[in-house]
Amino acid sequence: MTVSSEQKVYDVVLKQAALVKKHLKTGEDYDVKPDIVLPGTLSLLGEAYDRCGEVCAEYAKTFYLGTMLMTPERRKSDMGNIWRTDELVDGPNASHITPTALDRWESRLEDIFRGRPFDMLDAALSDTVAKFPVDIQPFKDMIEGMRMDLRKSRYKNFDELYLYCYYVAGTVGLMSVPVMGIAPDSLATTESVYNAALALGIANQLTNILRDVGEDARRGRVYLPQDELAQAGLLDEDIFAGKVTDKWRIFMKHQIKRARMFFDEAEKGVTELSSASVGILAIVRRQILDEIEANDYNNFTRRAYVSKPKKVLALPIAYAKSIVAPSRTSSLAKA
Amino acid sequence: MVCSSRLLAVSYPTTRLIPHSSTLSNSRFIQGKLRSNYRWRSMASEPEGASFAPPIDAEAADKNAAGFCIIEGPETVQDFAKMELLEIQDNIRSRRNKIFLHMEEVRRLRIQQRIKNAELGIQKDEQENELPNFPSFIPFLPPLTSANLKLYYATCFSLISGIIIFGGLLAPTLELKLGLGGTSYADFIRSVHLPMQLRLLLLVLALGNYFYFNTSQVDPIVASFSGGAVGVISALMVVEINNVKQQEHKRCKYCLGTGYLACARCSSTGALVLIEPMPTVYSGDQPLEPPKTERCSNCSGSGKVMCPTCLCTGMAMASEHDPRIDPFD
Repeated sequence: MTVSSEQKVYDVVLKQAALVKKHLKTGEDYDVKPDIVLPGTLSLLGEAYDRCGEVCAEYAKTFYLGTMLMTPERRKSDMGNIWRTDELVDGPNASHITPTALDRWESRLEDIFRGRPFDMLDAALSDTVAKFPVDIQPFKDMIEGMRMDLRKSRYKNFDELYLYCYYVAGTVGLMSVPVMGIAPDSLATTESVYNAALALGIANQLTNILRDVGEDARRGRVYLPQDELAQAGLLDEDIFAGKVTDKWRIFMKHQIKRARMFFDEAEKGVTELSSASVGILAIVRRQILDEIEANDYNNFTRRAYVSKPKKVLALPIAYAKSIVAPSRTSSLAKA
Repeated sequence: MVCSSRLLAVSYPTTRLIPHSSTLSNSRFIQGKLRSNYRWRSMASEPEGASFAPPIDAEAADKNAAGFCIIEGPETVQDFAKMELLEIQDNIRSRRNKIFLHMEEVRRLRIQQRIKNAELGIQKDEQENELPNFPSFIPFLPPLTSANLKLYYATCFSLISGIIIFGGLLAPTLELKLGLGGTSYADFIRSVHLPMQLRLLLLVLALGNYFYFNTSQVDPIVASFSGGAVGVISALMVVEINNVKQQEHKRCKYCLGTGYLACARCSSTGALVLIEPMPTVYSGDQPLEPPKTERCSNCSGSGKVMCPTCLCTGMAMASEHDPRIDPFD
């Protein structure tokens, strides 16, 4: 029997957690002394970090990650490069990305981890990698997800879809845990926090998929598991036709229920992060599922979005939850 | 028509690969695009082989090979009439893709041209703007670039302060010393034979100036003029700042509009230091030579590498209309 996607992904999560523990055990912060200090290079690196910081600030606005601006500067290089990779497929030039381009991007990534950055933003990441335990696997998996998008437009079962969601969104969750930092007084295990971040990424991606069914169909893609569609008596043609039937409503109810399960799993752990903004993110993104329901499950022609007032109203609830939550950490405490 | 049949032959690669079902796999489309790219190239290479022939012939051959005539005539629009709507859309998309890729190729060719020119010692006089400039909102003013933006602010600020100083200090002092002007507001308003509304307006201005300059004896014309000028200039400045913010929003966040990022291999110096073992046994009175350098292969000596997000256009949304910035400028 082949290993399920969930198991494969869980292995990656364990590896991440182990890497962090290894670093914590040694305790010290490595003091990297460059062998030769070339004139002008130190300022260039500082400039690169600043540029990453600016990019982060820009994305913090869209994703309501306000406290990301207060993360340690060195971690911003991670996020800066994540967004740059994301722009390759989501940005304005996405239509020109070929498999060759992705291969080249991956070889650049490998060079970064070997200490040979290509441009200044790569250099910032290379510097971070030299000083902190950062695993290359999530980065590679993200690129793998982009490759998947180029060749695959149908998903046979939820296992395949889970793997895809991990590649494109779960990896971002894993990469951002060290950026956000785990709260020092947290009693939860590192694995559980990583699992929660992973669950949040997957929940996010599933939400996006459920929201954009119509848009994806127009591009000829169906990001829903084929076997579940068949079980509900639906075909690809029904999706392309774009009509909301009772079968569709029942199918969507199941899908939304599963996405909510992932959000619940995520909420258990994200409160352990030292930044409260991720908790807010979870609550706000969850509202999109409510909006889909309110639209009578019509994600073909209507795009579910949460209006600003609703988002603002969600903030006090999120804050209250983040205060109440620490009392529940005993359930996640180390054995 | 000969023209249209050649056109269909050229467009055939793209149409053949469109499946009848509406599922359009991205990878298949890319393959189609690459294949048609090669076909264009093979067609173009034939007239290039005949480059020793007179240029007119080569051009005509080029045009015939492309099957496309640059001058429009009464029947030319009909050339594409035989295609179906879907075909036309796909043709438009594939041509746009080609333009985009050609623009990138032009940029890389220009870099090589620059290098070769430098090696051969040929001077290049063409000046190209490094940072993008955008037109000013205010008519008759020169376009703004980041370079003259600071100058712009400085000019406006000094103008405003100059007017304030003039209106507030110079003019009254001059009047006092030289005995010019100095009619009171009441006298002035009475002397001006304007309708009642305008007189009231002047009265309001006078009150304003009274509070501002704290004297009712100041020459009303100078005071009103200064106040008005300051107001107008401030308003224009606000508009201009808004324009700048809008334009900045459109520029690429990663390279900040320059189109390039610093090369990490040579730390934007353009040169790599060659490490060679040096003999140190020999006599000590000869100083060590400075290390030899070679041109950095990453950036071809320019010290900058392409920003992959905006593809050297410097704009947040790169399109085929955006010219590519030259790294050597």
